[in-house]
Amino acid sequence: MYNYTNFDKEFVAERAVQFRDQVQRRIDGSLTEDEFRPLRLMNGLYMLLHAYMLRVAIPYGTLSGTQMRTLADVADTWDKGYAHFSTRQNVQFHWPQLQDVPNILEALAAVDMHAIQTSGSCIRSVTADHFAGVAADEFEDPRPTAEFVRQWSTDHPEFAFLPRKFKFAVTGSENDRAVTKFHDIGLRLVRNATGAPGYEVSVGGGLGRTPMIGKVLRKFLPRADLLPYMESILQVYNQIGRRDNKYKARIKITLHEHGIEDIRRRVEEIFSFQRTRFDGVDQDIFSRIQDDFEAPLYKQASTDEYAKARESNPLFRSFTDTNVHAHKNSDFAIVTVSLKAHGATPGDASSAQMRVLADIAEKWSLDELRVSHEQNIILPHVHKGDLPVVYNALQAAKLATANIGLISDVIACPGLDYCDLATARSINVAQGIATRFDELKLEHDIGHVKVKISGCINACGHHHVGHIGILGLEKSGIESYQITLGGDGTETAAIGKIIGPGFKADEIIPAVERLITAYLELRLDASETFLITFRRLGPSPFKAALYPAKEKYHAA
Amino acid sequence: MKNETHLSVITANDLLSGEVVYLTASGEWSPEHSNAILFDEAVMANARLVGVQSSDNSIVGAYLAGATQGINLAPSPVHFREIFRTKGPSNRALGKQTQSV
Amino acid sequence: MPLENPIPSISERVVELNNRYRNDETTGVLRDILGDPLFGPIALVSSFGAEAVVLLHMISEIDRSTPIIFIDTEMLFPQTLDYQRKLAEDLGLSDVRRITPSREAIFLRDPDNLMHLADRDSCCALRKAEPLEKALAGFDVWISGRKRFQGGVRVKLVLFENEDDTRIKINPLAHWSRKDVADYIEANNLPRHPLVEKGYPSIGCEPCTTQVSSGEEERAGRWRGDEKTECGIHFSNSVRLMPDANIIVTDDGFASDDWNRGYSSFEGIEAETKTQNAALAIDLQNDFDAATILPWMDQIDLIRIDFPVFSDGRGFSLAQRLRLLGYHGRLRARGHVLADQYAMARRSGFDEVEIDQKLAARQPEPQWMARADWQARSYQQRLQQSA
Repeated sequence: MYNYTNFDKEFVAERAVQFRDQVQRRIDGSLTEDEFRPLRLMNGLYMLLHAYMLRVAIPYGTLSGTQMRTLADVADTWDKGYAHFSTRQNVQFHWPQLQDVPNILEALAAVDMHAIQTSGSCIRSVTADHFAGVAADEFEDPRPTAEFVRQWSTDHPEFAFLPRKFKFAVTGSENDRAVTKFHDIGLRLVRNATGAPGYEVSVGGGLGRTPMIGKVLRKFLPRADLLPYMESILQVYNQIGRRDNKYKARIKITLHEHGIEDIRRRVEEIFSFQRTRFDGVDQDIFSRIQDDFEAPLYKQASTDEYAKARESNPLFRSFTDTNVHAHKNSDFAIVTVSLKAHGATPGDASSAQMRVLADIAEKWSLDELRVSHEQNIILPHVHKGDLPVVYNALQAAKLATANIGLISDVIACPGLDYCDLATARSINVAQGIATRFDELKLEHDIGHVKVKISGCINACGHHHVGHIGILGLEKSGIESYQITLGGDGTETAAIGKIIGPGFKADEIIPAVERLITAYLELRLDASETFLITFRRLGPSPFKAALYPAKEKYHAA
Repeated sequence: MKNETHLSVITANDLLSGEVVYLTASGEWSPEHSNAILFDEAVMANARLVGVQSSDNSIVGAYLAGATQGINLAPSPVHFREIFRTKGPSNRALGKQTQSV
Repeated sequence: MPLENPIPSISERVVELNNRYRNDETTGVLRDILGDPLFGPIALVSSFGAEAVVLLHMISEIDRSTPIIFIDTEMLFPQTLDYQRKLAEDLGLSDVRRITPSREAIFLRDPDNLMHLADRDSCCALRKAEPLEKALAGFDVWISGRKRFQGGVRVKLVLFENEDDTRIKINPLAHWSRKDVADYIEANNLPRHPLVEKGYPSIGCEPCTTQVSSGEEERAGRWRGDEKTECGIHFSNSVRLMPDANIIVTDDGFASDDWNRGYSSFEGIEAETKTQNAALAIDLQNDFDAATILPWMDQIDLIRIDFPVFSDGRGFSLAQRLRLLGYHGRLRARGHVLADQYAMARRSGFDEVEIDQKLAARQPEPQWMARADWQARSYQQRLQQSA
């Protein structure tokens, strides 16, 4: 893990002091609300439906036991005893009071955490593959790059007031778990013909009102050119990105309107100047960051307990089938802890659960945790021999739900239960789906399917890339839910297709059930997933299942 | 008869606590929707809104929300979003729903 | 994740009010606003000049106790003072507040009452704008009698104006024609200012008001021989005609502008560079294409980049571009820049920031000095250059 330098420590501490001053100046009238809003947003503080919300950064989703325990303390001291892990690997507190926020930031700074740039029209907290550094299919850890970009983008004087927010994601694996194709800039670690390290740079991906898949701006960018090149892209965007219409202000629209050739020409022209600003010291800093992410020393021990428990305990077997992924070191496992117990709010954890996770991480996962964009917590380094005891500890805290990748492992934004932009609720739909398929005892049979729900067009619940996407809207004064099918946020990126008219709140769960029943009938065998079946057959049979009455009418 | 569709209240969030509040007849802010002053003319409601937006430092994000007059003559919310704001999240017993008597 | 719902700004609300009231009767508007105790404290600001009687009469018909602010600059025509007393009595106005400049300010700044000869802007500020600003404290809304037909910058006048996000200004007569005014006065048999029949259609202070000949704009007699058309209490195109100079912020704190040789637009740069070998300063908008300035780069001493609103960050990138293209002269950010952005401005290549008095009053020097340590704790600096 990255070790904060004195520079980093002083920076976050000073930032908390600055924010305390800004809050004071807001209260005394030196700052108007219009002026204060971007300043508080840059420190992660929103005003939502019922209260303020503080979004704390967990850069590239990596945190230690101590940090997780501090988050639990924040939840108990200044909030209501729980936290919400978000689809951008961050964590949100939904009830802080304005004058407590400086205290929270101070407490976070003490454990090398902050809420900087988790919001606002600036470069946001950087995300990365949640299996970074441990996935068996990875060839290079993306986190040194993510940390490098975090440092460069933090308080960047030129880019704090961009036309709109700007998101980075980094992956170092062929299997894209970081949704890089749907970020403003997606970086994929690659090597060129001579084996030199660099990046494939995608620009202009995004979800929201106008979902777009990122386009490759540079096939190979040498590592040493990363920062000046990023600076050039941002400078072009800052100057020509639209500011007249917030729905057209993201770089995806700039790219769309100007064309990738024009953007490339502008970027390369500026790059020749920007390059001269960097004398190479950034590469020394990069190497030091890389050293911090060196693979830990993995213990050597027997994995017999794992085999035994699998044989004797069917619940454990089921858990390890769904929630454990292959680790680089074959004696170890990556454990995903589901925050999606059937009927629970996706991504929520109580302070008690957070402390249990902190304890487990310290004892059995080399003091490291991850937050995934799918709103789960990951224990990245669990020795297989320790899996049974870890499982028991999780089970005692109601954290052993065996449903990763299944239909109840739903991504859902907070929706209209919290968010002031939402047009409908999403949590209740996620709860309804999980509860219904748990009753049916079908989810293991259904297998891998990703359901993603957003409570508004801004798509925080990533519905466009759900195999089954659900978008909550308001229609004629009531909540209405529109289904999209076939979305995919991975390396085989695809935007889901709208299938037909929306469903009322009490119709949406039965509609999903009809969809799944159709899939079970249509699939070639149990190994053909929902997405593959959809790709083979197209939308028609699913549409027929969703709108049976209409189809009958047409057939008559 | 006043046109029902034009009834509105002015609502915002409290600067310090973030709690949902409503403008009352005395110009104070109340956490209770039923204490809100009900405007029956959009023009007046808008004019008053500009006033609070420009001069009231104790609240954030004031806006007009449609309302109706209940049986006891007190205003009550119409849109489901505004109904949620008088209660709190539907997935947890938090917010106003835990405070009301 | 969500952006926060953008709060409808006061300016947006004002636009909405203007649309709603577009076709309403003037008295209806006034009645609505004055009649509702919820609207917050409202004052009418009246000059008791040539046409003031129209609004005064309307107000008296609705509520005679409405506060009426009358700025006596102590330079007015004696006829105006007589007229003021007569109207207040005739119309039964019970709360006319005659506001005069502060003794102390007059003693310090214009003890001989001759400032108007040397510096009309400062005189208006001292005797009119500043006393009015004080008198308006505590009012949410004020009513003014300006009309579009009066010409100059007033032709674009709207019914409701957003005054610096702190107050609403209502111009109930904005759309009235000269004939409307005359008709109203005649129909209600109202007394006219005695100077009207002597050829003064617009009446201000005695030293700065002259008669107007037929064919001239109504306010042509005000500050004749000067480009000045407004005293400074009203905005034009949302830019306040500030009588006082802007403030320059540097690492050393607040100072006044030491550049007194004027500013040119980029369009005029070719002519400027030909005619003068001396110092040159130019103003740039923030969407300016930096590379076009290359041929003149070495001849420019000062570049001012406009910040129309603090949340528009284009100026930061433009500054950085100019620096990278090799501009070494003075670089200044001018406009709506916050104290919290001072470090960003300095790091992006600006030398200084120019703000107006109003912003300086709200965000005084210490708030800017708190970020004079802009070189400390810069990740970018650390990544770009070896120590």
